[in-house]
Amino acid sequence: MPSRRHLLQAAAAGVGVVSMPGWLAGCARPSAAVDLAAPLPINPFAAWFGVDEPLLARLLTELGKNGATFADVYLQHTRSVNISLEDGIISSASASIDQGAGLRTVMGDQQGYAFTEELTPEAMLAAAGTSASIARGTPVLARQPFVLNEASKALYPLATSWGDVGIDKRLPILSALEAHAKVLDPSITRVTVNWGDSEERVLIATLDGRIHVDVRPMTRLWCIVTATRKGQTVSNSANLAGRRGIDWYSDEKLKALAKEAVDRTLVLFDAKRPPAGEMPVVLAAGASGILLHEAIGHGLEADFNRTGTSIYSDMVGKPIASDFVTIVDSGVEANTRGAIAFDDEGNPTESTVLVEKGVLRGYLHDQISAKHYGVKPTGSGRRQSFRFQPLPRMRATFMENGPHSREEIVASVKNGIIAETFTNGVVQIGAGDFTFYIKNGWLVEGGKITAPIKDVNIIGNGPDALKKITMAAGDSKLDAGGWTCGKDGQGVPVSQGLPTVLVSSMTVGGVNG
Amino acid sequence: MADSTLVERARDVVERAKRAGAQEVFAVAGRSRSVELQRRDGATERLKEATSRSVSVQLWVDGRYSSQSTTDLRPDALDRFLADAVALTRALQPDPARLITDPTLFPTTVAAIEVEDPALVAGLDSAARERWVETMETEARRHERVISCTSNLTFRSATGACATSNGFVGLSASTDIWPSVEVTLRDEGDKRAADGDGYGARFLADLPDAATIGKNALAYTVARLGSAKVPTRKTTMVVDRQAAGSLISRLLSTANGSSIQQGRSFVADKVGKAIASSKLSILDDPLLPRGLGSRAFDGEGIAARTLPIVEKGVLTNVYVDTYYGRKGKLAVTTGGPSNRVVALGSKDRAAWIAAIGDGILVTSFMGGNSDANSGDFSFGIRGHLIQKGEIGAPIGEMNVTGNLLSLFASLSGVGSDPWRASTILAPTLVFDNVQFSGA
Repeated sequence: MPSRRHLLQAAAAGVGVVSMPGWLAGCARPSAAVDLAAPLPINPFAAWFGVDEPLLARLLTELGKNGATFADVYLQHTRSVNISLEDGIISSASASIDQGAGLRTVMGDQQGYAFTEELTPEAMLAAAGTSASIARGTPVLARQPFVLNEASKALYPLATSWGDVGIDKRLPILSALEAHAKVLDPSITRVTVNWGDSEERVLIATLDGRIHVDVRPMTRLWCIVTATRKGQTVSNSANLAGRRGIDWYSDEKLKALAKEAVDRTLVLFDAKRPPAGEMPVVLAAGASGILLHEAIGHGLEADFNRTGTSIYSDMVGKPIASDFVTIVDSGVEANTRGAIAFDDEGNPTESTVLVEKGVLRGYLHDQISAKHYGVKPTGSGRRQSFRFQPLPRMRATFMENGPHSREEIVASVKNGIIAETFTNGVVQIGAGDFTFYIKNGWLVEGGKITAPIKDVNIIGNGPDALKKITMAAGDSKLDAGGWTCGKDGQGVPVSQGLPTVLVSSMTVGGVNG
Repeated sequence: MADSTLVERARDVVERAKRAGAQEVFAVAGRSRSVELQRRDGATERLKEATSRSVSVQLWVDGRYSSQSTTDLRPDALDRFLADAVALTRALQPDPARLITDPTLFPTTVAAIEVEDPALVAGLDSAARERWVETMETEARRHERVISCTSNLTFRSATGACATSNGFVGLSASTDIWPSVEVTLRDEGDKRAADGDGYGARFLADLPDAATIGKNALAYTVARLGSAKVPTRKTTMVVDRQAAGSLISRLLSTANGSSIQQGRSFVADKVGKAIASSKLSILDDPLLPRGLGSRAFDGEGIAARTLPIVEKGVLTNVYVDTYYGRKGKLAVTTGGPSNRVVALGSKDRAAWIAAIGDGILVTSFMGGNSDANSGDFSFGIRGHLIQKGEIGAPIGEMNVTGNLLSLFASLSGVGSDPWRASTILAPTLVFDNVQFSGA
């Protein structure tokens, strides 16, 4: 059995190493029902559940018993902790362990899928047999020996893995954030803080003989503020998220988060609805990347194009926006929510150019669509968990800098709005209509910012809105908020970013008279 | 797994947690089986099957509280999990409002809610599943503009047992089944018209037939062809029964103990007062036979009973669990909604459209949100113009904006046609003088 040495060698140069400190470190307080203090599990599923390479090969051979274009085994063990501070006390927490195996057989465009939370050979072999029933053909054997995939860089190394952080280290962060927010204004009546962290260990083994092991950390801190002034109550929130460790939460960061949450809340006292109808919309740098996510990102996921259902299906190679518009979807933005060293099919991720100088370049592929189009996978095959088959998904979607300045852009608007913070968005892939909801923004009159606005939905059409991006500034940045993208019942963490941009006309859900 | 085994597992977790140091324990052991078949453009696209199980537990330790869940059910792993859970709980701050459910709230009889279909427990064989998705697809494809058509059948059978340290043992078993079809048609230029139809029920026998779902899916999608922007206006809004539930859900989104105690509710001071026109009455009915939201007890074990939420426009009750009841000094009802049944009017959608003459028909809401404190909302919509009492051209890129309390104050008509494939059984709703923004 060459497995252990083989894995170790490859791991030394591979992505498995990335998060290794967390697994290797001595663990004073194991917080999962697995022994984190035990000697190194390179493949924790072998150490904890006896899922070694011979068993993986048996499972893959079972998946390929009726033939397969490809097949994979996806093992996952996720430990997560959520804590909330409400009315000044930290009196509620929830923790969970979610583990299981997803087993998939792919034949052309067809997929058989089964999962089990029982990581026993019997349960997994039965699930593999179910998946294999999708195919009718000649058996395919798992290629041996396995080779460990290698990643070129560490995207989310942590000084201390979440499994090694005691609960007592987390609680002071919640209290400090509450204290920082409360002192900022006498009108603040309540500050609620929600905390989340998780550590996801995955192992992906493929029929063509690759194994990929990864540890994916995630954390999120949410500050919700309620304030009352002259009988009017308003509330709003701000949050920070990323593939980060506990040391990310410096006091400076907590103060900035508290201030952002309070600012976003207090401005609502004076905010009004803008007028209804079509008008120029300035999208502030950062979270406004939601425009890209909805207006074009989903439409370029290859599954919608492979089936001809996207409005972008026939546009590759064509100009779709001004020549200063370059849009990228990247899995390699370190420490962001959208960062992922390998996708959930074991393919390395990359920075995929979707639109280059205004011209549509290509799609986000999973393995099925890459095979369909005869191109290399872009590392965009993602899944919510072992309970789901992978789909082409976005990672961190952003637009590169443009030639204008924010001042120029605002000054050019006669009557319009600036969109600054957002809660959610959605798109109809076929018609291209998308919406996003603005929580905070500003009215612009005669090229000047005149008043705060709130609670308006924007609706537009993807290709039309892209054509109407008439200006873009040089201040592109990724938002640090905890965005989750939903598709086909699956949620995955994503990031988004934008420079300050002018869309010359979109429909604003305001109020007239 | 037999029901008795699940009960034993839940009881076993209670005992293990107590040994680990918890004073009070609420444990739930669950198991479910799901099967999904998806067909696209003439071939099976996805076949998915799984049997899933988990344990979740709420712990009260030295005046402190936490909730935990795991899918690692090996006995030694469970013990370690519970030891960690107790340690985590001890590290939190005490809260006198966190107590296990008072035993007087637990059910004393078994409610006859009829939510488990023996036919679905046995499962549909593969030939029957194939027939469903093939028939739906065949009917949905009968158009020359079809680009793609996806039909799906998903069914599930779930069993859950709960056991508590203060004497409650409860068992629930349910089934549900969801056929659906999505159709994409070639429209003008690069545009595609996409829509579909779907249904859900506890019992196989309660589903419409597969051909009807397929035909509806195609008809709804054909109706979307040539959708265009129309000018900004204020007019009458007719909301289709399939979209009406989402408005009801928004109206009641802050009618709960947590939102009210936390001071983030636009109905906080409205209990006993009007939140809608007198045309609106809503009953929360957990005992509705075969209801998708039916249950014998809620997540805290509180016995199910019907609860009037809105009576002739007046907010009569809100959802309050034991924690926020104690903390906010509110009367405990139940932690959250079951089936929300909207009282019916006398006319169906077609009759309302004929009666109002001109306006906008909303067939679905698309994104948007609302503010918890003010009830201000703004949603994208899809729908049609209503002209001279008939459904006219399809509308794209339009928002509807306003305030939920004033919107529902302008509710002028309620349909006779409830949508039953939802936990909100709402009919067509008609609202006067609504702000739409378009071109």
